[in-house]
Amino acid sequence: MSSTILSLKNLSRSYGKLKALNNVSFDVPAGSVFGILGPNGSGKTTLLGTVLGILRPDSGSFDWMGGIQQQDARRRIGALLETPNFYHYLSAYNNLEITASIRGRGADDRQRVLKLTGLAQRQHSKFSTYSLGMKQRLAIAATLLGQPEILVLDEPTNGLDPAGIAEIRELILQLHQQGLTIIIASHLLAEVERVCTHVAILKYGNLLVHGPVADTLRNEDEIELAAEDMEHLTAFLGTQQAIVSVQTVGSMLQVIPAHHVTPAHINELCANAGITLSHLALKRKSLETRFMELTT
Amino acid sequence: MHIEWLKIKRYTTFWILLGMYTVLLPFLNYGIANGTITLGGSGKNGINLLNMAYTFPEVWSNLGYWGSIFIIFPGILVIILVTNEFSYRTGRQNLIDGLTRTQALHSKALLVLLLSVYTTIHMWLMGIVFGGHYSGSLDKLYAQIQPIGSFFILSINYMGFAMLLGFMVSRSGLAVGLYILYALILEYIIKSEVNSYMDTPWGNLLPLQSSDELLPFPMIMMTKRLMEQANKISYQTFMAASVVWCSIYYISCRVLLQRRDW
Repeated sequence: MSSTILSLKNLSRSYGKLKALNNVSFDVPAGSVFGILGPNGSGKTTLLGTVLGILRPDSGSFDWMGGIQQQDARRRIGALLETPNFYHYLSAYNNLEITASIRGRGADDRQRVLKLTGLAQRQHSKFSTYSLGMKQRLAIAATLLGQPEILVLDEPTNGLDPAGIAEIRELILQLHQQGLTIIIASHLLAEVERVCTHVAILKYGNLLVHGPVADTLRNEDEIELAAEDMEHLTAFLGTQQAIVSVQTVGSMLQVIPAHHVTPAHINELCANAGITLSHLALKRKSLETRFMELTT
Repeated sequence: MHIEWLKIKRYTTFWILLGMYTVLLPFLNYGIANGTITLGGSGKNGINLLNMAYTFPEVWSNLGYWGSIFIIFPGILVIILVTNEFSYRTGRQNLIDGLTRTQALHSKALLVLLLSVYTTIHMWLMGIVFGGHYSGSLDKLYAQIQPIGSFFILSINYMGFAMLLGFMVSRSGLAVGLYILYALILEYIIKSEVNSYMDTPWGNLLPLQSSDELLPFPMIMMTKRLMEQANKISYQTFMAASVVWCSIYYISCRVLLQRRDW
């Protein structure tokens, strides 16, 4: 995991007065599933459009695979940006022929990717007759064509039904195991949380945090507890070093424990002080909560 | 270019429009040649201004003139092919998949060249058929065949202009509208204004007009010859102007596509 697939250095880009990207720098490690998160309009697509050579940055630079030629890099990347872009009057099969000839490989790989994305049956129908979900599936099929080393997926589950979303999740995990580097921009946090090894969070074009999922979300666990005598419990916990903060939420107390303090440890503390807990639960802070905290 | 072929191979609109051009231009010329299509009155007493020779060598300038009007249609075809890449967002996807911006331009520029070769060969075949039919022999086939060369340049000029407009405007309807408006009306107005206010013929050097001047209405050409008008711009100058304009289209497209977001 030592090598870097994509390295951004101080990328900035404005649309008139609006700063879509403000001095963004981070590295995407090889073999990672890298989630780029942010509310709508936070610069996710601008960021991906820039590294894919579609948009010109105002300043800053980026390198693929240690700085190889951008055209060569793009041929080794399977990318889906915003919408499925295909020739409406051509079938899926013929559209993929164009993709393959631009990439310089993959023409014989078409059946495999169409089967993988569940389009084999309709492969000879025109693109214009496809439903939104099928168009999205074809876009994903196109990214997989010719076995690229890197996938860049912008909202890959757009327009897919729940089964489709699950299939894509499985596919991403499977490809990750095969060693591909996968960059995903999304606002579906639960999805990202399930598949990503690394995240970067953007807001108004500013990079808020980035790094491995475990680190980014470290120390953010909360413990929920309750007892017969809530006032006594609150007073007691307030005096303990093991507890960083105490907050009453409804009929419960929500505490943030100090580092390495487990619920068992708190239970023991309370028992020793003669307090019997009627409720004790560890709440791992979800990415969503963290995301909300960071972006609002 | 192989990629461009994959795009148009199954594109019905393209083949219908190209087919219309291929079929209708000979029909128009046939109508004029046998006197069905007339100007300046119809019927037996009408003075037919269009009734001109379709024998060698005049056939070339006649065909060239009518071709110079019809060429607007292949131009529309070029606009559609260019703007499709924007409306389907496929131009963007082509870049993502590994085409360079220069390659994206060259594939379309090459298409313009090939279509121009096609329209020129088409005209040459028409010349053989019409000229051969009305002259009775092909002896003088290559006498005064210069209009064929002019027509090739004119084709590149019109379609190159269409390509630039397509890349600039990037929306199909608007680009086609502007193109027709400019080619048929706007340039005529500007040309006339320039020529009359500045009392020069420089208005004739405007982008499309410079090539139109290579293939004037045959009757005017004869009149001009008779009157030996002063203040004339030479054929060579018009030819040079046309080539310069084509280069300007190419360079503008290149600069535009390098700088622009897709």
